[in-house]
Amino acid sequence: MSTSAKIKRLDQRPMKDAILSKNKFRFLGLTLDDFIKYFFQGNAMIAIVVLALITISLFSSGIWFIPQNYQNLVVYRQAGLEYVDYLRQEIDDHTALTRYLSNLRLQQMQLLLKEGKSPEEAQTALAPLDAFIAAYGDAATPLNDMLSEQTDIASAIKDKHNSQQEELHGRELLLKAGKKEEAAALQVEPIDFKASVQPLLDMRDAYIEANGIFAETLSNLIFHPPRMVSRSLQPKMDRFRELSRTYLIELPKYEDQILNWEQFKPIPKYKAVTSFLFGRQWLTASFWQDWYGIIPLLVGSLTVSFVALVIAIPFGVGAAIYINQIASPTEQNLIKPYIEFISAIPSVVLGFFGIAVLGQSMRWLSQQEWLAWVPGFPIQERLNIFTAGALLALMAVPTIFTLTEDAINNVPRAFKEASYALGATRLQTILKIMIPASLSGIISAVLLGLGRVVGETMVVLLCAGGRIEIPDFTQGLGAFFQPVHTMTGIIAQEMGEVVQGSIHFHALFMVGIILFLLSLVINYLAQQVVHKYKISIG
Amino acid sequence: MHAPNNPFRKQVTANLRIEAGINWLLRLCAYAIVIAASIIFLTIFWKGSKALVQPTFPFINIGFLTERPETLHVLEKEGSPTLSMGDREFREFEKTHDISAYKKASYVYAAGGIFPNIVGTVLLVIGSMTIALVLGIFSAIYLSEYSRQGPFIHMVRLAILNLAGVPSIVFGLFGFGMFVLAFNWGVSLLAGWFTLAFMVLPVIITASEESLRAVPKGFREGSLALGATQWQTIRQNVLPYALPGILTSSILGIARVAGETAPIMFTAAFVMRDEMPWQVKHFTDFFFQGVMALPYHIYVVSSKIPQNEYTEKVQYGTAFVFLVVVIGIALASVMARIKMRNRYKW
Repeated sequence: MSTSAKIKRLDQRPMKDAILSKNKFRFLGLTLDDFIKYFFQGNAMIAIVVLALITISLFSSGIWFIPQNYQNLVVYRQAGLEYVDYLRQEIDDHTALTRYLSNLRLQQMQLLLKEGKSPEEAQTALAPLDAFIAAYGDAATPLNDMLSEQTDIASAIKDKHNSQQEELHGRELLLKAGKKEEAAALQVEPIDFKASVQPLLDMRDAYIEANGIFAETLSNLIFHPPRMVSRSLQPKMDRFRELSRTYLIELPKYEDQILNWEQFKPIPKYKAVTSFLFGRQWLTASFWQDWYGIIPLLVGSLTVSFVALVIAIPFGVGAAIYINQIASPTEQNLIKPYIEFISAIPSVVLGFFGIAVLGQSMRWLSQQEWLAWVPGFPIQERLNIFTAGALLALMAVPTIFTLTEDAINNVPRAFKEASYALGATRLQTILKIMIPASLSGIISAVLLGLGRVVGETMVVLLCAGGRIEIPDFTQGLGAFFQPVHTMTGIIAQEMGEVVQGSIHFHALFMVGIILFLLSLVINYLAQQVVHKYKISIG
Repeated sequence: MHAPNNPFRKQVTANLRIEAGINWLLRLCAYAIVIAASIIFLTIFWKGSKALVQPTFPFINIGFLTERPETLHVLEKEGSPTLSMGDREFREFEKTHDISAYKKASYVYAAGGIFPNIVGTVLLVIGSMTIALVLGIFSAIYLSEYSRQGPFIHMVRLAILNLAGVPSIVFGLFGFGMFVLAFNWGVSLLAGWFTLAFMVLPVIITASEESLRAVPKGFREGSLALGATQWQTIRQNVLPYALPGILTSSILGIARVAGETAPIMFTAAFVMRDEMPWQVKHFTDFFFQGVMALPYHIYVVSSKIPQNEYTEKVQYGTAFVFLVVVIGIALASVMARIKMRNRYKW
């Protein structure tokens, strides 16, 4: 007691504070160390901030698509374009039937030439068929004339509406710039949709009459179709008769649509979104009507990814099993880094390889006689779903391989040893122990591979063919040799060319949103599977 | 005389045959991948080396690496050899010859070299990697040294995981909407830097955190026990040992930054630009200029000009140079990592 009292403390603070605090600079009650900590914490938030910024910038641009698309749909109806499209549909269906006939004629011609007939003989033999085709096609001429007349009227209305919108926009700009007099001088005549569309509606009587004649002509024609010269083609002719008859039965449907069309029937608000999400047409910069439907692009992305995964999964997983379980150490040390190395190949180089080499060799291969049995061969386009898919498979393989190998590696040794101890062979151990135990890891590897493939841009932009159409799945497997366009490809291709702020510009951002959400979902699923996988091993 | 019947000799049963067959099938999978990749490497190396390597001294086509892209003019005349020349040469030729006698075909970008593209790619990589490394290392220091389990850390990790899965074109779209349009930076180096940096961030953070965690706990505990503050510990006892590891594993990020095309397509890349990046009036203009880049150039020359014997040289040559650069970077990363592993053994 007495000794301790003699020590004179320089520091007058209470004992506890003097020992614990480090006698440092303080600001707002925080030491320098606290500041450093918060500085790093702030940096750690960067990932969240970037993710949030991506979301915000995508949505803040994409959201404008919805009102613009709604306006687009309203104009489509009110300017009478929808009305004209009913008639167009009727004629298009008829044209499809005519095309069927021409195809049939072509087949017949080839058959005759093959039989050794001279071209002149074949022509004479085909004369009745030719006359029939001509009569069948000509039946629609009055309707066609009517259609082109209506098309002119409707597109004139739309053009007028568009220029009026531009003038309105210009006036707004003037007002913003503070030039009130000039703005007032710019009188914009509001367009009277009702009056402008009236001429279209007035043509209804003429249409009914023409349609009646049209139906009569067709039914007379298909009552006595010409017999095919070759008997083998007769079933196709019968099929044509069948199709024609169905078409005739459905004719009143078109008539109903045209007669019951209401110009000012309100369009439900949700249509602006659903016409994007479920729209089957992506048609831009057309003189008639632009459509922004994501389905063809989505289907393109998915079919390409599907092909890529179908190729990549067996090879990636098979190689992983081989390297991990069967290969000799030398093989392991060489092949494993090599496969991981593939992921370093830039995608644009792969795309270039696809254009320069793979596409050409695919076409050459498809023209070989001995491969004629493959569906879709010989291929029409050298750049198609398969070309892009095969290259994407090579991009997905390293991901799938590495993660699958990790998953197999993570299976406890005891599992394998126990299996061997029970007398199982290596194959049995692999198939019944190792694969089931690492299955969730493999699935998540595949999902991450899918994520990589769906989001890949350059390969699909260069090699998928760039035709914005849903592939014709009626061809079976041959559908995988058709060109498509994808979501990533369309953004890369069209973003540089569109007018900022236009509906097209915002539609591309909408595609970006879908892509972003898709990648998040795939990521989420992969994480869920991995999460379960940890539990299953125990 | 026959060998004594060995009851333990391996019996070749049907099962064993199936097993051998399946082994072969799996082996085939592995080798098929190797072969497919090798075909791509060899094709591009072989055809690309034609553009780059020449039989006479100095054996490497220096012009291809040091000149700008030019339009290639091909002049054909019956009875005389086909002439092909770059734009400048063609102008000279035009003055002295009557070109109307020739059948002329022009291919853009098919002559000259790819120097501005190489410069542009290097600038993009340096800038974006600097940004990504600073942000990534700071972020990783928090995650590995300061963080406690909790909702905040959970969210950060989730964000990193999801960011890693976002397609590169979405980053491009984001960079375009945010930096090019909203910040009004235009198509510029700066916009490209940030877009690429954000894209590569998850890779850098994950790699850095791994390297930081590899430093043994004892290093930190020893330092803390001697009374050092946490920041002193990190600065003097953790970072010096982790930094080489961070840098080497980040090289893989460079390969990704250099190799991506989609994010720079509408944020930083120009199809053609006459000035070199250092030819700017004011130094701030440097950051707000677009550049030509190798990957984008490959896209342009492979999609915008036809494929024939005249354009092949520049197409394969560019792909070859680009592939060598990217593969070289990746190889350096692998080598450095092996070296690191041997150097530090705690």
